[in-house]
Amino acid sequence: MEVIRLQDATRVYKIGEVETHALRGVDLTIHDGEFTALVGPSGSGKTTLLQLMGCLDKPTSGRVLLKGEDITQLSSNKRADLRRGTIGFIFQFFALIPGLSAYENIELPLLLSGVNGNKRKDRVMELLHAVGLSERTKHRPDQMSGGEQQRVAIARALATKPVLILADEPTANLDTENGRQVMEIMLRLNEETGTTFVCATHDPRVVPFARRVVELRDGRVSDDKRL
Amino acid sequence: MRQLWKIAYRDLARNRRRSLLTLVAVALGVAMLVTLTGLYAGLMEDSIENNIRLQTGHLQVRDDSYDQDKVSLAWEDLLDNSQEVAAQVQAIEGVRVASPVLWASGIVSTREESVGVRVFGIDPLSDLHKSVRDGLVAGEYIQPDDRSGILLGRRLAESMGVSVGDQVSLLVNTSNQQADEAAFTVRGLYHTGVPTYDDITVLLPLSKAQTFTRTEGRASAIIALLENRERAEAIAGALSTPGLALLTWREMNQVILQAVETSMGITYLMYLIVLAVVAVVIANTLLMSVFERVREMGILAALGMKGRQIMAMFLLEAGTLGLIGVALGLLLGSLGVLYLATAGLHLGEMATVATAEVAYGEVIYGDFAPGPTFVVAAAAMVIILLASLYPAWFAARLEPIDALRSQ
Repeated sequence: MEVIRLQDATRVYKIGEVETHALRGVDLTIHDGEFTALVGPSGSGKTTLLQLMGCLDKPTSGRVLLKGEDITQLSSNKRADLRRGTIGFIFQFFALIPGLSAYENIELPLLLSGVNGNKRKDRVMELLHAVGLSERTKHRPDQMSGGEQQRVAIARALATKPVLILADEPTANLDTENGRQVMEIMLRLNEETGTTFVCATHDPRVVPFARRVVELRDGRVSDDKRL
Repeated sequence: MRQLWKIAYRDLARNRRRSLLTLVAVALGVAMLVTLTGLYAGLMEDSIENNIRLQTGHLQVRDDSYDQDKVSLAWEDLLDNSQEVAAQVQAIEGVRVASPVLWASGIVSTREESVGVRVFGIDPLSDLHKSVRDGLVAGEYIQPDDRSGILLGRRLAESMGVSVGDQVSLLVNTSNQQADEAAFTVRGLYHTGVPTYDDITVLLPLSKAQTFTRTEGRASAIIALLENRERAEAIAGALSTPGLALLTWREMNQVILQAVETSMGITYLMYLIVLAVVAVVIANTLLMSVFERVREMGILAALGMKGRQIMAMFLLEAGTLGLIGVALGLLLGSLGVLYLATAGLHLGEMATVATAEVAYGEVIYGDFAPGPTFVVAAAAMVIILLASLYPAWFAARLEPIDALRSQ
């Protein structure tokens, strides 16, 4: 079953008089349970593509369909609703809220979704356990290593059991060992929970973990192969 | 909403220093306003009370034609049967004390000094003049049949270099528009704590004052003190008689009451300035908080937080800071008022700058004024929320992808 589909999606940024074509007509379908690596050089449009898939941005032309439903022209409130329940994000810079503990960071999306009391607590503990951080509950981001922070971010992305997790260069700021751990955790969670992962990267170490590799070049899909 | 509050609360808690500084600013601003309100309420109430106990009483009966500004002593302007009228007034329920007085203007002189004074002819036995009797600091109080004794305020005596037992010369206007002069012995010195009274008021027994000014048993007014000053109008109505003027303390203290009203404008302006400072501090704190957290806003948006939720979160933060700050300010301010109400503020010589109609004491006592204090607290809260609208709106309209890109 398809999770997300882009049809002839373009995205043009206008800065002053200058137009930048980040995406020049992308057709791409991501299926349920896939673990896809989105590769390509800097500026090839990986992040823009993730933002369109993640309902953070609208295409200049073309369509985006989430589970068959056209989400291209949704209002910002509707898109926020969609993100909250359906899509999880993992960013390159870990993107935890400073000052909040690992527990509280993972709790955030659950708070926003109105999950109450013990249910919330159980879910956070389950996720902390899943990413191997049961002992780091009360640690704040500045008290954790980059690898640990990224694992918290993965747990947070998974909190509301989204259908799609979008990771933007999740290993870029990690050393080899931590990068490998993070990829292993993502792959394991993909296999265990069936959650769909799309992982934009130009880190060659990530590719072997993927089941499908989509290559972007100059804003177009230049290669799409299943491993 | 509870969830948003939890997020807002956590944000305040993790920026402890910033939150604390803002709280202090709000609390100090509100505390200052509450204390000032209390001081102001006390100042005005004291001033009115001083004036009532020393000069106007709660109710006065005068002849219709009496003009206080001229301190007239003409027979037709005075009350003929003052003792009878006083007894009638005294007999009314709710009247604590009523007594005739005679007012004249005069000049007290020694060989070196001359000072213009107000001469009060009083019944020394009446409780109407309890404040002066209780304020006796040297010598003796005057007796009704004393033909040569006079009471001076201590401040006046000191400035003229006279003390108890000394002779002074007193020149007064008389009823036939002449002047008469006689020597008096200073029997005693009093101190009421109201410089504008003590500096210019000399007291004689009523009968002596009447013969001296040739008013022959007449009085300028009957002054009455009531059990409850709010009944002044009702009692004045009951006493209404053709040919007599009945004046209540409210009418006679118009100057102070008007001063209260006019100075309210200035007070409100000052309040506005302090509240504006508080508003700027809050707005600044929140704006800083927004700018520091642009990327966080992006993350929260990515997590599915809507613009209006982000706005609500900031307003909750401001509201929490505001509520705690205002509560602290009320507490601190009330302590300030309590201190002013018990220890008082010593004005000293500053009290003498007031006019004779506005009787500031040397010590001003604060008075907790619940109404204005509530207004101050509510205004502070409203202004804080208004000031936080812009930063909150600014945060809410950030585009998630732009916010995420910010470092």
